[in-house]
Amino acid sequence: MDGIQTPLDKKDIWSDAGTTRVPYQIYQNPEIYAEELEHIFYGSSWNYVGLECEVPESGDYRRNFIGEREILMIRKNDGSISVVENRCAHRGAQLCQGLFGNTGAALMCPYHQWTYTLDGELTGMPFKRGIKGKGGLNSDFDMKTRGLTNLKVEILNGVVFASFDHDVVPLEEYLGPDMMQYFTRIFDGRGLRVVGYERQIIDCNWKLQMENLKDPYHAGILHLFLISFGLFRLDQESKCLVDDNKGHSVLMTIKDSEEGNEDTGGVRIAAPDFTLTDHDLIQPLLEFGDRISLSIQTLFPSLIIQAQCNTLATRHVLPKGPGSHELVWTFFGFEDDDDAMNDRRLRQANLMGSAGYVTLDDAEALEFSQLGLAGSPEDEVAVLEIGGKDCESNDHLVTESLIRGFYMRYRDVMGHGKAIT
Amino acid sequence: MDQTEAAQPVTDESILRRIERLQLDYISSIDDGPLDNWPQFFTEKCLYTVVSRDNHSRGMELGVMRFESVGMLIDRATATQHAAVFAPRIIRHVLGPMIVDETGEGYRSRCNVVIYQTSPDGDTMLLMAAQYNDIIVELDGVLKFKEKRVVYDTHRIPDSIVYPL
Ligand SMILES: [Fe+2]
Repeated sequence: MDGIQTPLDKKDIWSDAGTTRVPYQIYQNPEIYAEELEHIFYGSSWNYVGLECEVPESGDYRRNFIGEREILMIRKNDGSISVVENRCAHRGAQLCQGLFGNTGAALMCPYHQWTYTLDGELTGMPFKRGIKGKGGLNSDFDMKTRGLTNLKVEILNGVVFASFDHDVVPLEEYLGPDMMQYFTRIFDGRGLRVVGYERQIIDCNWKLQMENLKDPYHAGILHLFLISFGLFRLDQESKCLVDDNKGHSVLMTIKDSEEGNEDTGGVRIAAPDFTLTDHDLIQPLLEFGDRISLSIQTLFPSLIIQAQCNTLATRHVLPKGPGSHELVWTFFGFEDDDDAMNDRRLRQANLMGSAGYVTLDDAEALEFSQLGLAGSPEDEVAVLEIGGKDCESNDHLVTESLIRGFYMRYRDVMGHGKAIT
Repeated sequence: MDQTEAAQPVTDESILRRIERLQLDYISSIDDGPLDNWPQFFTEKCLYTVVSRDNHSRGMELGVMRFESVGMLIDRATATQHAAVFAPRIIRHVLGPMIVDETGEGYRSRCNVVIYQTSPDGDTMLLMAAQYNDIIVELDGVLKFKEKRVVYDTHRIPDSIVYPL
């Protein structure tokens, strides 16, 4: 990308103006982590909060996180959805405790029963005027300014996003046309249904999780299961797309496009030859009217949308300090799935999740990364030069360009100097 | 869990002891290995699933593992040993007392289980608190699991699940 060369920020942790060198500090330094929460998660980002179908009835809520702040996605009486922070404006107590539940017509803090509308406006509290004119609130107390933090909400074909910044660009503009195209390839407007959840703690920085889904290079090397069964190969017909701001991406591979023998450049990939005893485990059916059998979309900052064969899921990355994150998998299907498709989704889920044939390797490798870089000298860096130095879209898989793109966006949002390539 | 038909408590001591031995041999195939023995504890067509209580109580069948035949169990045992990348670890199941009923489908056995995991550095963590909900049948004089549903409470799993549970 051609850019005007701007000087690096005084917080000069990046050793050059590009993103082929990623400082290990950003995976472990608590100050940088605190700034990430502030600038990225609580700044001008659109954050995933859930699926509309998770809160079908008026008063239904789902509790979730944006960064480390707890939020509630609530179905209001008029059918629309609000997102408010799960923190009472009185003394800070958590309003709702369940992961899911129903608040009824109003939100009420269990501690002193301060009560809010489902949009978070403060409507009342017990003994507001005290007893017999003694105690209670003074008459100058302004109820209007004492509501819950209310977030800006947009819903795209059943997927709910929220932002702490009410001046954030519209979601469609935030995603850009290419990302919109692949987002709506899966979320095509049909009614969604949740197939089930998985939640897991992975002890590595949240960005390593995002990098993993922007790293097609590892998939044909690390995942012995996929290689052994011929489910993914680096010589498959493929596409890696990045958006104009470089922070979002989608990578996809085409079914049955691999050639006879993979040219690994003379390196033998150590994988056993393996055939499934029971092939019912994976009997994929192309369901989106094209030949893409795997697509992984990552939306800045922390959402992954996975469609591997027929296992569809959002993976939401929740940072938990610099060295850990929670990964929340919402496996979904469509309201019009028949029994056979439901069976496929349940069986193929064996590939994914905390025990997944594929993702188990990822979670382990990511923890190896965090353990490996822990305590590294301040100037040590990761080297990202596979596939060159740019952050552009590709028609091959042996590339780290999507990760380089992520850090272009990251540097920009963090004020770490606009990166150039 | 769901009592679809009248279940009679099993009081025959020899059956209770055989079922207890089955469960102990089963966890030993995982904790002590070899894992290749693990599929043998199931009937040819079977259901092995590891589901969070959260999913289970809301009627969602999605599990972290779900296998419906001995073949699928063999594939899991093979993949775990030869086609997966993970840090070495030791798994230890601890079973609580069993409640065994006789139903039309076979023996229904329920017991609590906690599973500890120990890292290469020697740190032990509680991997999960769970319950076995099993249906056990006798085939040619041998007791086997026709169903083993591992319903786990620890739905924010503190690590990956490498071995079967
Ligand atoms: Fe991977």
